[in-house]
Amino acid sequence: MINVVIAGYVRSPFTLANKGALARVRPDDIAAQVVAALIERTRVNPQDLEDLIVGCAFPEGEQGFNVGRMIGLLAGLPQSVGGMTVNRFCGSSMQSVHIAAGQIQLGAGEVFIAAGVESMTRVPMMGFNPLPNPALHAMVPAAYLGMGDTAENVAAKWHISRTDQEAFAVRSQQHAAAAAQGGRFADEIVDIKHQGVVTDQDGCLRPDTTAAGLAQLKPAFDKEGTVTAGTSSPLTDGASAVLVCSEEYARRNGLTPLARIRSVAVAGCAPEIMGIGPVAASTKALKRAGIKMADVDVVELNEAFASQALACARDLGIRDEVLNIDGGAIALGHPLGATGARIVGKAASLLKRVGGRYALATQCIGGGQGIATLLERI
Amino acid sequence: MQSIRTAAVIGAGVMGAGIAAQFANAGIPVLLLDIVPAGSKDRNGLATAAIAKMLKTEPAPFMSARAAKLVTPGNIEDHLTRLAECDWIIEAVVERLDVKQSLYRKIDAVRRPGTAISSNTSTIPLQQLTQGLSDAFARDFLITHFFNPPRYMRLLEIVAGATTDPKITESIVDFADRALGKSIVRCKDSPGFIANRLGVYWLQVGVIEALDAGLTIEEADAVIGKPMGIPKTGVFGLIDLVGLDLMPHINASLARALPATDAFHEANRELPLITKMIADGYTGRKGKGGFYRLNRTGGGKVKESIDLASGSYRPEHPRDLPELKGAAKDLRGLLSSDGKYGRYAWRVLGQTLAYAAGLVPEAADDISAIDEAMRLGYNWQWGPFELIDKLGAAWVSDKLAKDGMRVPALLRAARDKTFYRHLDGRRQFLGADGEYRDLVRPTGVLMLEDIKRVSKPVLKNASASVWDIGDRVLCFEFTSKSNSLDGEIIALLGQTIAVVKEKYAALVIYNEGANFSVGANLGLAIFAANIAAWSEIDKLLSAGQQTYSALKYAPFPVVSAPAGMALGGGCEILLHSDAVQAHAESYIGLVECGVGVVPAWGGCKEMLARWSAGGLLPNGPMPAASKVFETVSTATVSKSAANAKELSFLRPADGITMNRYRLLGDAKALALKLAQNYVAPKPAEFKLPGAAGKLAFSMAVDSYHQRGLATDHDRVVADELAGVLCGGPADLVDVVTEQQLLNLERGAFMRLMKTEGTLARIEHMLVTGKPLRN
Repeated sequence: MINVVIAGYVRSPFTLANKGALARVRPDDIAAQVVAALIERTRVNPQDLEDLIVGCAFPEGEQGFNVGRMIGLLAGLPQSVGGMTVNRFCGSSMQSVHIAAGQIQLGAGEVFIAAGVESMTRVPMMGFNPLPNPALHAMVPAAYLGMGDTAENVAAKWHISRTDQEAFAVRSQQHAAAAAQGGRFADEIVDIKHQGVVTDQDGCLRPDTTAAGLAQLKPAFDKEGTVTAGTSSPLTDGASAVLVCSEEYARRNGLTPLARIRSVAVAGCAPEIMGIGPVAASTKALKRAGIKMADVDVVELNEAFASQALACARDLGIRDEVLNIDGGAIALGHPLGATGARIVGKAASLLKRVGGRYALATQCIGGGQGIATLLERI
Repeated sequence: MQSIRTAAVIGAGVMGAGIAAQFANAGIPVLLLDIVPAGSKDRNGLATAAIAKMLKTEPAPFMSARAAKLVTPGNIEDHLTRLAECDWIIEAVVERLDVKQSLYRKIDAVRRPGTAISSNTSTIPLQQLTQGLSDAFARDFLITHFFNPPRYMRLLEIVAGATTDPKITESIVDFADRALGKSIVRCKDSPGFIANRLGVYWLQVGVIEALDAGLTIEEADAVIGKPMGIPKTGVFGLIDLVGLDLMPHINASLARALPATDAFHEANRELPLITKMIADGYTGRKGKGGFYRLNRTGGGKVKESIDLASGSYRPEHPRDLPELKGAAKDLRGLLSSDGKYGRYAWRVLGQTLAYAAGLVPEAADDISAIDEAMRLGYNWQWGPFELIDKLGAAWVSDKLAKDGMRVPALLRAARDKTFYRHLDGRRQFLGADGEYRDLVRPTGVLMLEDIKRVSKPVLKNASASVWDIGDRVLCFEFTSKSNSLDGEIIALLGQTIAVVKEKYAALVIYNEGANFSVGANLGLAIFAANIAAWSEIDKLLSAGQQTYSALKYAPFPVVSAPAGMALGGGCEILLHSDAVQAHAESYIGLVECGVGVVPAWGGCKEMLARWSAGGLLPNGPMPAASKVFETVSTATVSKSAANAKELSFLRPADGITMNRYRLLGDAKALALKLAQNYVAPKPAEFKLPGAAGKLAFSMAVDSYHQRGLATDHDRVVADELAGVLCGGPADLVDVVTEQQLLNLERGAFMRLMKTEGTLARIEHMLVTGKPLRN
């Protein structure tokens, strides 16, 4: 079997939707700069690229027109390189990685860019024309349930208290703040230039967050609920990209692989508790690789909400010291389509940094799914 | 012709900043300068902070977010040279002659010669301000005294000095009238000018007479308010609004400036209660309270007021006094009555009217200036001389004399006359020389009240009248209570369309009430519902829909000219007009959901057509429906005409008139312009999202409900609204016609009228004037 490796990871700064520094920048422009920077940093020969696979949760408006192809053209990739857009909501760009890995193992190419993008400013969540199917709604009422409501459901069902959620949010903010201060995002963030202005810093971080401050917030989704804006990931603009290639290609071309992909999985779950999706997906991926959670040294578990991240961490038995070492989406932000590639790339580079053997990247997906990628250090 | 293209205001206090905001509201870029705050990093800090504060102030000084961007903050150390770019420089700094004069010298050194400079002083005479300054400066200098808040108070007092160039004065008067929307009252260079001279005297008399008579502040305010056509804040409520701490300063400055013979000195008694309240921090509404306060201790909200005898707070007394019933209709009766209210009313009003009569010619050239100043500066319904006419000059003179009070010469001279009269349709006032003179409106001002005095209506019924306003234009006027809409209005509109078609060129819909229209008459609706006369309600819906459509497709232009509130059915008239000429202070909205129904005189249809045609939204069936759903389900009302454009209640090309007096003239001009080669619009067609869109809206409302932001009945109402906006049973490939949408509106309205939740909302609104959140 052909080994597939992650041989590079970059992302744009993640900034708050509507008021952040990237609010006025088109998503395809953000992503194109990220793709170009990935090529520059990895020194991959763009002529070798088979395809640019871009994850996007709401591929319409400026994210329409098969935005994957448009981003390739904008980034100046050779016209011979393909371009596609993948949608699995929040799991979109992790799916891009999976597709690239599958293609490589199928012998359908040696090197791919798996990217993701979302401007939650410029294309609203649910899109411009939300038209749910009334018959499906009658049949499966939770199919279109709001994400906040699912977070409340998970909090209730898994008995995740508001205090625990807030402690988790503070932890995420503190880890992210420490990483930012320690310059540990420098190798992943690329400058985004727009009309003469350079954005080079994350914009969502709230390093001063305290449990006492969070306790003052009103519930965001249910007046009787426990989930607040402070324990949810913010609406975010941003893009990310990883270089996926065969181990053989990396060796032959002098690229520096960060990690090898050991196994991947997706799994469905009840839509009303979509936040628990990572449990089934990670369990499958671990089983496929024949590894136990105790063996995993780095976990990137997307923090859509503190309630679901805590429920997943408990059910999967993730140790605190390996979880979201540089903070998670509650602090960093969650540009839907871009998060999957970010956490795969982050898990791979953390594996290299902390020196462990296995890393898991996993996330929940609206509609009731989970997706997971298991990496191994080379 | 606009002489002022850019302006500067120096002094970023409440007045200066508010004046700058009004320039911005008029579309004029304005520089707002203040001193460099000591030790601050931001050298423009004071102006920047003032702008930021105004963006959070309610009622808002800015008419739109865009206006706020026209104000550039700066400071007088770094940016004074930029005054050379400005056509009008307004000084609004602290009331100290030395500070003002030192600033004037700096301004004089940098300004372009011929640039108007004015002071917003309320106390310092112009003669002193210009003393020792260059002749050129004095030629370009005048006093422009704005009232607080500058956006909302229509009065502008202007004092031109003996040396002021009349051309400068005229250009400022013209600009302040047309662009800033102010009504100009020319004052003499005398202390306090007109409005505050009389207003402060009246307040002071109101306080001391209440103390002397042992009245509660609730009683005092009730007596002084409604019966005299004065806002219900009366005396004590108004002092709370102005600020208790300002009163001693204003009183002292008037006391210093007025001659010893002036009656003001008798009323200027020191009041230990007020001194103590100020010392305790009770400075009025801007602080923790004044004569009235909201006591929040213990987590509650208790309305309290000061007991004048003990000086301590106690629960507020009711303000509607049975003894005052009918007093508004019989002011003379109140003033003659021997009870404590009658005596208080007379003591305060008698002295105030006498004082007013003593202000000609010292403070004002004529009585009309004093009346206008009190109407616009203190929101009195009638000026003092109009009040005297209501009472009779002889009656007032005799009563003053009988009570041993001074009778001013002007009042004695008028004893067998009235201060105002009508001659051949012209309104005239009595001059100081005993001769009557015409009251002349500024050029371009057209008032319906003037037309009504000299003509008979073309059509008329119990709720509306139609007037010929010249040049083949008719004006449709609502005359019902609060200009609410009923079957009579709908019927007369129908007749009017036929008459205009036959003989006229255009129709203007306009009136001079406080509000254009508060919407349909809910009392009639609830009456019909209570006797289950559903077919009557349905008939009125249908008649309204047909009439509004007939207005829209009539072969002549229809221009609506709202001022104040245009709600519900009143808003729907605007939506069906070819164009709107709105007063800047227009508060427009489809508020039907607040009383549990949906707009059903074509409001949903017209709003959908606007947002669909706008080209501002992404493609597809949902964006327009979403915009309308958001605006209508939350009963959003615009906070200005500019804001109404943002909400699409007005079209981008609709006109905005800043000066209320100019609204009808502007509307008529617009109607005549449209009448040239007029072609009626074509009906719109719609592609709407159908059941899927309705589901999307209902999911959104459910989420609001869960968050506690929408009530149970909100869901019912929103569901019906969503049904209309999504085209009912239509599939998104279907073309939905205007008539189909009108049918959906009617169906939804009728279903909602039969729900308990809606009936409860309507009843609650009728009883309390506030929406019920059930």
